[in-house]
Amino acid sequence: MDDIYGGKRSDMELVLNRFVQRIKEVRQSMAAETDFDTIEHMLARVKSEESMREKCRRKGLPETAESALTKIYDALGVRIVCSFLSDVYDIRDHIAAEPDYEVVEERDYIRNAKPNGYRSYHMILRSVEGYYIEIQLRTISMDTWAALEHHLRYKKPHVGNQKLIVQELKRCADELASTDVSMQTIRDMLLAEES
Amino acid sequence: MTARLLLAEDTRDLNRALTTVLEHEGYNVVSAYDGQEALDYLSSEVFDALVLDIMMPKKDGLQVLSEMRAAGNYTPVLLLTAKAEVDDRVAGLDAGADDYLTKPFAMKELLARVRSMTRRHDDYAKQRVAFEDVLLDAQTFELSAANTVRLSVREFELMQTLVSHASRPLTVDYLLDSVWRQEDDAQEDTVQLYVSYLRGKLKWVGSHVTIQKSDEGFCLANDKTEL
Repeated sequence: MDDIYGGKRSDMELVLNRFVQRIKEVRQSMAAETDFDTIEHMLARVKSEESMREKCRRKGLPETAESALTKIYDALGVRIVCSFLSDVYDIRDHIAAEPDYEVVEERDYIRNAKPNGYRSYHMILRSVEGYYIEIQLRTISMDTWAALEHHLRYKKPHVGNQKLIVQELKRCADELASTDVSMQTIRDMLLAEES
Repeated sequence: MTARLLLAEDTRDLNRALTTVLEHEGYNVVSAYDGQEALDYLSSEVFDALVLDIMMPKKDGLQVLSEMRAAGNYTPVLLLTAKAEVDDRVAGLDAGADDYLTKPFAMKELLARVRSMTRRHDDYAKQRVAFEDVLLDAQTFELSAANTVRLSVREFELMQTLVSHASRPLTVDYLLDSVWRQEDDAQEDTVQLYVSYLRGKLKWVGSHVTIQKSDEGFCLANDKTEL
């Protein structure tokens, strides 16, 4: 079977690595300013052949490089997990100000959480070479919830009902969101006392 | 929901008359004819309120009251006292009664007092309060506007207090009294921190409401009017 990315995979990897490198520089310059490490960890990946083909089928698109690179925006994906809520927005501002990347789309699922409780800040960028990169920015708590919810998503309960499970997962998301704001408040208070 | 009452009254005619009237008002009434029978019901069933005569065989009303309170049962109690003596009423209230009524009484007044007792109970359990675009749910501790978050118990109590006195600034002392009940390690800093938590959470649920601080104290305000 042909490569779904039409031989562009190594180009894509280069674009992805360059973006990650740029974010690492941003992180270092921010740390020099505030004495805080804004990024907890970062993951970057090229979507696998298999899941890209599956996504094309799900969206009713032909399984071609054109679909994978111009109709679907998450062939390249970067997840940036931040320490505090304010870091998410600070990093977002830095990314939006980068001249080599155009912001194509932005969704703030932190201020407007999804009905199931999912929270993240989503951005779709286009690099100068024309590749799309999907960025997910979130705090450690939001990442924790998303990771655990993913483990549970496809498990059907033997007892109790699905609706209750969904409600309870949302409650956990809201409690974590509450803790995020508390931690941010404590950090702001400590920083205000220092200055 | 139908409120469930336990009526403990040893005079059969009066018990029957009261039961009829209360049932007519829509209550679900269980009758007991002496103090021991009342305690037996209390140990095996759940009631929303209790109408308790003081003068009863086996165990009197005051004994029933102090035994149930000692067992951790805080169902609201209306005492019926035959004598108009002050000492009786004081003893009843001290033993944990929520209200009392002196015999003979008007049926209308009994109904009003039972209504007030059961309503109080309902309101505490299910209240949802709102201020401007913010909703606070007392059952789930959920604070919501565009988004929702769960508050901690203290944050909830502070928010509830601010909402129920929305138009009036509350002093740190008042808040320490009503929210922290003068706990030893709660101080002005504690109040300030919890106010900051709530300000942050109000902002992150997307509300326009904030908490203002003035010389007189803390007060909810609509942030939009500030701008």
